[in-house]
Amino acid sequence: MKALFKKGRRMLPLLAAVALAGCAAQAGKPASPAPKTAKAPEFSEWPCLSRSLPCGQLPTRAPVQKALAEPLNGDPARGKALANERSKGNCVACHVVQGAVQPGSKGPDLSAYGTWNRSDAETYALVYDMRWRNPDTVMPPAGTNQILTEQEVRDVVAFLQSSK
Amino acid sequence: MAGKLLLHGTLALATLFAVSANGQATEGDTYRETYPRVAIDPARGVAGGADPAFGSTLQYWESDEALERHKHWIGDPAHEWKLNWKFMDLDRSDDMHPGYLALDKGEKLFNFWAKREPGFRTCLGEGKTDLKGLAAGYPKYDPKLKKIMTVESRIEHCAQTALWETFKQGSPENNLIALYFRAQSANMPIKVDTTSPEIMAAYRRGENIFYAKAGQYNFSCASCHTTSGLLGQRFRGQVPTSPFGDAAHFPTYRVGLGDIESLQQRFMRCNLQARTRGLPPGNPDYTDLEVFYTVLSNDYPVSVPSAR
Repeated sequence: MKALFKKGRRMLPLLAAVALAGCAAQAGKPASPAPKTAKAPEFSEWPCLSRSLPCGQLPTRAPVQKALAEPLNGDPARGKALANERSKGNCVACHVVQGAVQPGSKGPDLSAYGTWNRSDAETYALVYDMRWRNPDTVMPPAGTNQILTEQEVRDVVAFLQSSK
Repeated sequence: MAGKLLLHGTLALATLFAVSANGQATEGDTYRETYPRVAIDPARGVAGGADPAFGSTLQYWESDEALERHKHWIGDPAHEWKLNWKFMDLDRSDDMHPGYLALDKGEKLFNFWAKREPGFRTCLGEGKTDLKGLAAGYPKYDPKLKKIMTVESRIEHCAQTALWETFKQGSPENNLIALYFRAQSANMPIKVDTTSPEIMAAYRRGENIFYAKAGQYNFSCASCHTTSGLLGQRFRGQVPTSPFGDAAHFPTYRVGLGDIESLQQRFMRCNLQARTRGLPPGNPDYTDLEVFYTVLSNDYPVSVPSAR
């Protein structure tokens, strides 16, 4: 079978690891990785898979069909950045959107969404929470679960409507 | 559009999540969403990987011959995922991968402790001194300890009782010895005892966890690892693969981490990637999920050392 690891590529990190291990390890005790300094978010405010932690008892936030209080007032440029940003909308994980690098293939191609003649209100309600239309969707409820703020949802909607 | 709520219809469709483990009260009034279930027959083991609901990929990775026939897919983004990355197990690549170096370290570490205290070996072997083939039967129910034991929890237990050392699950000591212990069963078919009522109770709890939606993204394991979800679809730069056969190659050398990773550490990282509270390795819920996952690898060979 094809060689999967090129010698040069794998040797550098290995040498570094061996050097580090040599400094810190005692007999019978490999070196532990350095503790992480930055405190990562815990996500304890949403349900988790534990039967003993409090998050394991939390309910799923119920689906909502959120009404759009007009006017939309979204910023398409900001929306484009949010849709492409992994830590924010991350729409590109599943959708082709304008400006997408390495888009996913699960959801429909949204790069010409602005030609679909969908209303702002419908688009807003679906980005906010798709589950009222399709309970089995894998699309995260960006509004209900606070992945995006109210204004950020409006920005993404403005971006989609401007995609022509 | 009117702000009319269509909640009643959605609520009727969603399944209520019941907490039924360990004699806890069933919380039928808590609204918990689950992903649509797929029928899995635990008696079929890895053979269930042939089902379309899980991508029907078994045919491409079930044997060395199958992998050899499809090796031209390696590096092809449209097809590579169908090989379930099994071409990175054991000695299937020409070059030595870092999993082998980790295995060497694990062997040295095990020998160091087994020489200092022979009771460590016999504890891991539950009385036997030859560890060959034993890891293929994990997770298993231990009637003396009255709990489900994984390879990692056995190592933690034996370090505590025979060495008076703390080799916490997920620690470098535990992972390296686990890799060595598992390698003593390399190429032997995984045989989790599905006739054990305790194992099957854990399997059912693990199956519930597989379908339970959780976290900020409201994802379940099944959201990514069934065909109606993301299995086989591009998910940014990656393609989620079948859960069948997946437990066989752990602990694995993870190139992106530059370290070996146990199955339960992978669960934890997966939870965090899906913005869900991660649980510590050894947590009983992850142990249940490991039982479920390993039953889906039954009859598939233990495939360490491996790299991903």
